[in-house]
Amino acid sequence: MAIENLNQFLEHYFTAHDCSLIQNEDGILTVQLTEEMDRALMNRPFYWHYIKKMGNKGDPMQLTLITNPDKQEEKGEWIHFGSPRLHQIFSHLTNNEKYTKLFQQLDTTVKTALYPWLVVNMKISYIGKQKKDEIISIGLQLVNGMMKFAMMDQLKEIPLQLAAADYCFTISPLIKVKSGFLRIESVIDQHVAKQANDWAEESIKTLQEESNMLKAFYNDRTDDEELVKQMEKELQEIKNRYQPTISYKVINGGIFYLVDGTIK
Amino acid sequence: MNDIQLQKDTTFIDHLQESLDKENRYSPWDLFNMAYEAETTMMAPSFNGLRALDYLPHVNFLPHQVTCAEQVVEEMNGRAILADEVGLGKTIEAGLILKEYMIRGLVKKALILVPASLVNQWEKELNSKFYIPAIAHRRNYAWEQCDILISSIDTAKRSPHREQILEIDYDFILIDEAHKLKNHKTKNYEFVRSLTKKYCLLLTATPVQNRLVEIFNLVSILKPGHLGNYESFLEQYGKDRNQIKQDAYLKQLVQKVMIRNTRDSTDLSNAKRHIETIWIDFTDAELDFYQKLDSVLFAASFTKLTLLREICSSREACYLSLKKMADSENASEVFLQLAEKIEQLPHHAKAKKVVELIQQNPGEKVIIFTEYRATQLYLQWYLQQSNITSVPFRGGFKRGKKDWMRQLFRDHAQVLIATEAGGEGINLQFCNYMINYDLPWNPMRLEQRIGRIHRYGQEKDVHIYNFAVRGTVEEHIMTLLYEKINLFETVIGHLDTILADLNITDLEDEIKSIFSESTSTGEAKIKLDNLTSIIQYKHDDAVSEEQQYGN
Repeated sequence: MAIENLNQFLEHYFTAHDCSLIQNEDGILTVQLTEEMDRALMNRPFYWHYIKKMGNKGDPMQLTLITNPDKQEEKGEWIHFGSPRLHQIFSHLTNNEKYTKLFQQLDTTVKTALYPWLVVNMKISYIGKQKKDEIISIGLQLVNGMMKFAMMDQLKEIPLQLAAADYCFTISPLIKVKSGFLRIESVIDQHVAKQANDWAEESIKTLQEESNMLKAFYNDRTDDEELVKQMEKELQEIKNRYQPTISYKVINGGIFYLVDGTIK
Repeated sequence: MNDIQLQKDTTFIDHLQESLDKENRYSPWDLFNMAYEAETTMMAPSFNGLRALDYLPHVNFLPHQVTCAEQVVEEMNGRAILADEVGLGKTIEAGLILKEYMIRGLVKKALILVPASLVNQWEKELNSKFYIPAIAHRRNYAWEQCDILISSIDTAKRSPHREQILEIDYDFILIDEAHKLKNHKTKNYEFVRSLTKKYCLLLTATPVQNRLVEIFNLVSILKPGHLGNYESFLEQYGKDRNQIKQDAYLKQLVQKVMIRNTRDSTDLSNAKRHIETIWIDFTDAELDFYQKLDSVLFAASFTKLTLLREICSSREACYLSLKKMADSENASEVFLQLAEKIEQLPHHAKAKKVVELIQQNPGEKVIIFTEYRATQLYLQWYLQQSNITSVPFRGGFKRGKKDWMRQLFRDHAQVLIATEAGGEGINLQFCNYMINYDLPWNPMRLEQRIGRIHRYGQEKDVHIYNFAVRGTVEEHIMTLLYEKINLFETVIGHLDTILADLNITDLEDEIKSIFSESTSTGEAKIKLDNLTSIIQYKHDDAVSEEQQYGN
């Protein structure tokens, strides 16, 4: 799911990082940063270096982020989907929140088994003349091999925590994590193969057209070494520009221990 | 399809395994989910459309700028000549295209080659408007270290920079003022051809002038072979530009790699311009002083010209210059005498006229442009004496101060007094009266001034008053330069092409040299007259050509 309420997103982000909210009204959010978050966001390594050298505790800053465009004039930073601050926060997230191991949260006095799932969130990019992305979230049960799409949507409905709840025990996977990942990958391969590839055909057509044009431009002048070098360079440029490519990049993933039957 | 390359993620699963083995830190659910949401927010779900528009909510793009960017990305595959008329925002279009490619992750390394005088402006614009972290090249920077560098072509092509740059595979190259690359035998051209690039934009306001072979050379940077090879092109079209008029096919080919928006073709012309010349007569005392000044013999006639222009603006502007000359070593007595005489002059006739005009339009916001800071200060004081509120505006103001002044003007003051067009970024559509207190000699600057209020978003007609003092140097400029060629209404859009055709780089310099090289006013007048005649002639020529050639 893409972010819809940026203010709420930011509130969750800072709360999850133990920053206290000083105010949050009308799309103006002020937080007291922790030292860790100050170091991550405020870009003042010399301050921290100096203050630590002096043996002081340091004084993390407060940050005011304005999501309401009507309040741009107020004191603080206007933050929106293009602002450098948000992208700093985004990359802080995507760099640090890649791997996880989570357990379903249960309030029980009965012994309960938790089954392991490998969850992979994958970004697929189709790159030809233009580029587009697709995100797929897949879960694979590591005992019986069941596979589910749109996994994140289902996980959102389940309370999760970092340690197993009382009376819960985990079942060991029968499928190894690595081979589980390969299964997921091959399912993605199949998915990709099923997609219309007119974009790739068009790219190849353009690639060939422009390459032919280029060769005609040089008029088969194979006698001049400099010209041949220049032509080779330009042919390579055309290839770099149009060669259709599909790339996989894992956004994040991990092992989720869930009660049997939770995932539908 | 076998021809598609597949790049898989090979590192993730090993790192996950490692984390599980070593019991590293795990992401709590909240943050794990937020990282997923962040990626989902940033992705580009479709091949077409501009993602960049969502990222830049603070910029008001004009429709033709958006269309241009779409066309370059979707149809021209990122290699194009942007050839809009001056003032329609080529920089904005280029910035938007670059931003789009960066958002989609298609461009990481970019090189932006612009004239040395524009390096800082580009740096500022890309950073503040587009949040593109572009850095101006400074001495001792390593070229491979910064991802987005701005430099002048003259620096870039020199050793040791040249060798370093040629080693790098650029994703994006932009060249401003690309018409300088029209000759394929120059070092610059050869350098640009040898760069390794993926996407490439050439910016120029004057693409179709002179000879056809120059277009051939520009296109050959982007798409070698698009217009055939050199020999076949010459054979088919000759070196003569006239051929292009007859050749619809060639025109079509060129349009596949070039976008040219003109003022007429954009939506800018809904609000009308009412332009009026206001003639002002000097008082006897002022006229007397003017003539005295005119009769003094100066070592450099240029100095005199400056002083004459200044006295047409305000006593203060002229006084400051005189004072400076008087203070310099071995200055002649005459400066001091003149300076003393100035002090006795009454209030400037133009300033009185300004007050009169503003009082005739009570409640209307007015922007006044002057060439001189001394005049700006004087006017501010003089308006205050007449109970008219005003705020100053200068190009040198910091960003924050500019915004603040704009806001003060919008909400509180009636008048804004500016010393220069203030560059980009200040939009004053809420104001529709403009007084050109003194005329710049470069009509393009005047066009930029008018562009502050007569732009996209202006709903009312705009009124522009051009002040000129009768019987002075201003009268020559007004009648010969502006009125004769009907500059405001018609020629301005073609002026850049015309001047390039005539090999005039700066009209202002041209006029200055006419005045300084002439021995009498009469001679200067004749020369000016000749200049405007040829501009007029070229313009008629260009118009008829545009009809056949333009897109």
